Amino acid sequence: QSLEDCPLDEDEDAFQALGEEDEDIDQFNDDTFGAGAVDDDWQEAHERLAELEDKAGSSREPDGPVGNDGDVLGDPEDALAERLTRLVVDSELEDPAIMQAMHTRDPPQPGALNSSIWDSSAVLRRIRGPLLAQEMPSVSVLDYALPQRPPQARDEERDPSERALPRRSSSPIIGSPPVRAVPIGTPPKQAAIPNFNQQILCPKPVHIRATMQQRYPAPYGERMSPNQLCNVPNSSLLGHPFPHSVSPVLTHLQRAQLLGGAQVKLLPAGRMSPSQFARVSGLVGSPLPSVNPKLLQGRVGQMMSPAGGFRAFFGAPPAPPPSQLPHPPGPGSHLQNLRPQPQMFRPDTTHLHPQHRRLLHQRQQQNRNQHRSLNGSGGDRGGHRSSHQEQIRKDPYANLMLQREKDWVSKIQMMQLQSTDPYLDDYYYQNYFQKLEKLAAAEEVHGDGPKKERTKLITPQVAKLEHTYKPVQFEGSLGKLTVSSVNNPRKMIDAVVTSRSEDDETKEKQVRDKRRQTLVTIEKTYSLLLDVEDYERRYLLSLEGERPALMGERKQKICDMYDNLRGKAPGQDRPSDDHFMQIMCIRKGKRLVARILPFLAPEQATDVLMATARNLPFLIKKDAQDEVLPCLLRPFSHVLYHLPLGTVTSLVQQLMNLPQSAASPTNLHLTAVLQNKFGLSLLYLVLSRGEELQSSDTNTELMQDNQWTELMLMATRELLRIPQGALAKPMSIPSNLISLFSRYVDQQKLNLLETKLHLVQGIR
Amino acid sequence: PGTASLIQDIDKKHLVLLRDGRTLIGYLRSIDQFANLVLHQTVERIHVGKKYGDIPRGIFVVRGENVVLLGEIDLEKESDTPLQQVSIEEILEEQRVEQQAKQESEKLKVQALKERGLSVPRADTLDEY
Repeated sequence: QSLEDCPLDEDEDAFQALGEEDEDIDQFNDDTFGAGAVDDDWQEAHERLAELEDKAGSSREPDGPVGNDGDVLGDPEDALAERLTRLVVDSELEDPAIMQAMHTRDPPQPGALNSSIWDSSAVLRRIRGPLLAQEMPSVSVLDYALPQRPPQARDEERDPSERALPRRSSSPIIGSPPVRAVPIGTPPKQAAIPNFNQQILCPKPVHIRATMQQRYPAPYGERMSPNQLCNVPNSSLLGHPFPHSVSPVLTHLQRAQLLGGAQVKLLPAGRMSPSQFARVSGLVGSPLPSVNPKLLQGRVGQMMSPAGGFRAFFGAPPAPPPSQLPHPPGPGSHLQNLRPQPQMFRPDTTHLHPQHRRLLHQRQQQNRNQHRSLNGSGGDRGGHRSSHQEQIRKDPYANLMLQREKDWVSKIQMMQLQSTDPYLDDYYYQNYFQKLEKLAAAEEVHGDGPKKERTKLITPQVAKLEHTYKPVQFEGSLGKLTVSSVNNPRKMIDAVVTSRSEDDETKEKQVRDKRRQTLVTIEKTYSLLLDVEDYERRYLLSLEGERPALMGERKQKICDMYDNLRGKAPGQDRPSDDHFMQIMCIRKGKRLVARILPFLAPEQATDVLMATARNLPFLIKKDAQDEVLPCLLRPFSHVLYHLPLGTVTSLVQQLMNLPQSAASPTNLHLTAVLQNKFGLSLLYLVLSRGEELQSSDTNTELMQDNQWTELMLMATRELLRIPQGALAKPMSIPSNLISLFSRYVDQQKLNLLETKLHLVQGIR
Repeated sequence: PGTASLIQDIDKKHLVLLRDGRTLIGYLRSIDQFANLVLHQTVERIHVGKKYGDIPRGIFVVRGENVVLLGEIDLEKESDTPLQQVSIEEILEEQRVEQQAKQESEKLKVQALKERGLSVPRADTLDEY
């Protein structure tokens, strides 16, 4: 019992009208050499084909014997399909004729399939590429004819005839979700030819859909996949494309499609793919119904041009020559798809009409030639490609992973990259690329070197889909059944926070708790800080109307931060710096303060500065291990620049801890300050600021002047007293210190000071 | 965001380091989104000092979570190595010797720690890495 779809001559008149080649001879050939034959040696198949070629054009034989074949042959639909495809295949010139012919055949076919074939042929006219026109019907035959065959039987028949390549039962298909169209966005290398793509892409999805849906809606219906984005649009379109029973068959289908796709892909050499994908990019957010055709297009486009697409995807900027080499295997692998596929195809194509098969092979040959010529014109890549082709040719196990499967994996990976807010999801990557681009821009400004096209992975920004997930409710059931899932987790444990109210806590516990509290405060403030820092970017992105609101938010957050820093709900004064000190004891706290300072209002910033100065020795002691205090210097200096003299004076006072009344012989505070890098630097800065103010503004109040002078005298006294070795090395020495000191000390002391503090330029 | 994909690596010879310390060398035939790998004509390479030995293993399917790292092998440079290949028996013997030496030193270390009253790092508290 032969299971080939030997075409039946039900409507012979049509054929005679069109004057097609004789399929009968081919029929006989099939019987003799073809389907039943177990041996799938490609050579033999090749010879068979050669015979076919020879016999082409010979007279037709009566198809009586053919008609007597088994039940399978009595399948009118298949025959018709075969006829049709061949018609379209062989004579695109006779398009109108074909259309006529096909229209006459309307009644016997099922409605949905009707549409598929009509659509395809209707669209074919629009298609510019001859290849596609030819390829279309072959594919439609495949997916039309194949599912009707009893697949199991076919499998068994084929198994022994399969070659070394492992049987792809259902694993890649079952285990993996059905192939979906994915909105993969890549920067379009050429903005052109979107129309072309559209037309090309249209035919395939339409007829695929028709066949699939018709046959396999049921198994898929209940499938709920967590991957909403992916599945929701698709489930309405494709039934279950890959039910178990027809999986092997469909694999071949896919391969055939790939074959067809490969041809198209090779021609524009990857130019098409990016533009296809670019079009598809905006997909996901769009509503369901409108998405359908586009998704399918994307899907097919995916199948059609994977290698080129990959090149676009993974051509990241750091793409040195080594990564160039993998690219050629892209098209090379396509070639490889073609090459082993003939070996695989031979057994499978026996069910096809021999004529059909011949055409497929012809096309393969064409493609090979074309590709080679492409290679030659490919420029510097050509050499790489050919060498890789050689290597790939020798590897008999290559391309076990079908292009479709590769696409599927990459699709998943790309989907994972889609993000609604790239700055949130992948902050460091975004920043890294911004820096790179800035560098590139800077370089461009300098010289007009070759503008390196940094192919950046541009992932589509998916609009945030607000899903209010309502848990499934069953109708008519008593009570509420709790159905918990990922989106609706069920409460398992009642975790209650019991606050400690015990009074007999140990001291250590209290300390530890306090420290923990501080840490929590720091973290909260950090979050606020990050938000505030982000506002600028958001500001730029937002609309005009939203901006005041954003500013308001920002201000509020800044205030919150400050409150956090200084301790909540203070009295009129801020009696204790305790809270602040706690924060400052922690390394992260110091960094936090340094980052916050630019955002604070002047008074607030001064406040912070004062507090720091007041408690500087304490902080210095605590900072001994971390040595993070110097990070505060920069923001402090910024603050200082805006301070008036009065503040500066009091600041110096704080720094030196000079209460008006007592003056102990050794000023420990000041000593500590001077011995610390940060302290000394801060002192210098403050002094410098004071000097600046003094020299610039001559109308200072006498009072302040006195205070200042007094302070300066004390400062200089201390500085002189301290042994040089004990002095710390400051981060920076302001240039006007000499002039400062010169006001208050005599020349001798000035010289001393100069040498001690290395104030003179050049000595350092 | 930048992404790395193994798709470009298919059908190329790779060296795969697994979490249990094994080194596999084979042709990467298939992958999936979890970086599960199918290695073909796989060889497990055992390194001891400057010597190494290859044990042919056939086809490997490796679960992605067990892969530490993998890298493509340049076929031209593959033979360009200072290491010396030895037979399987020899390398297994060398490995055994090495394991023994390690165990000895570990025992001594534990002994020393115990003597000093310090805590002994136990396998269950240690991470695998």
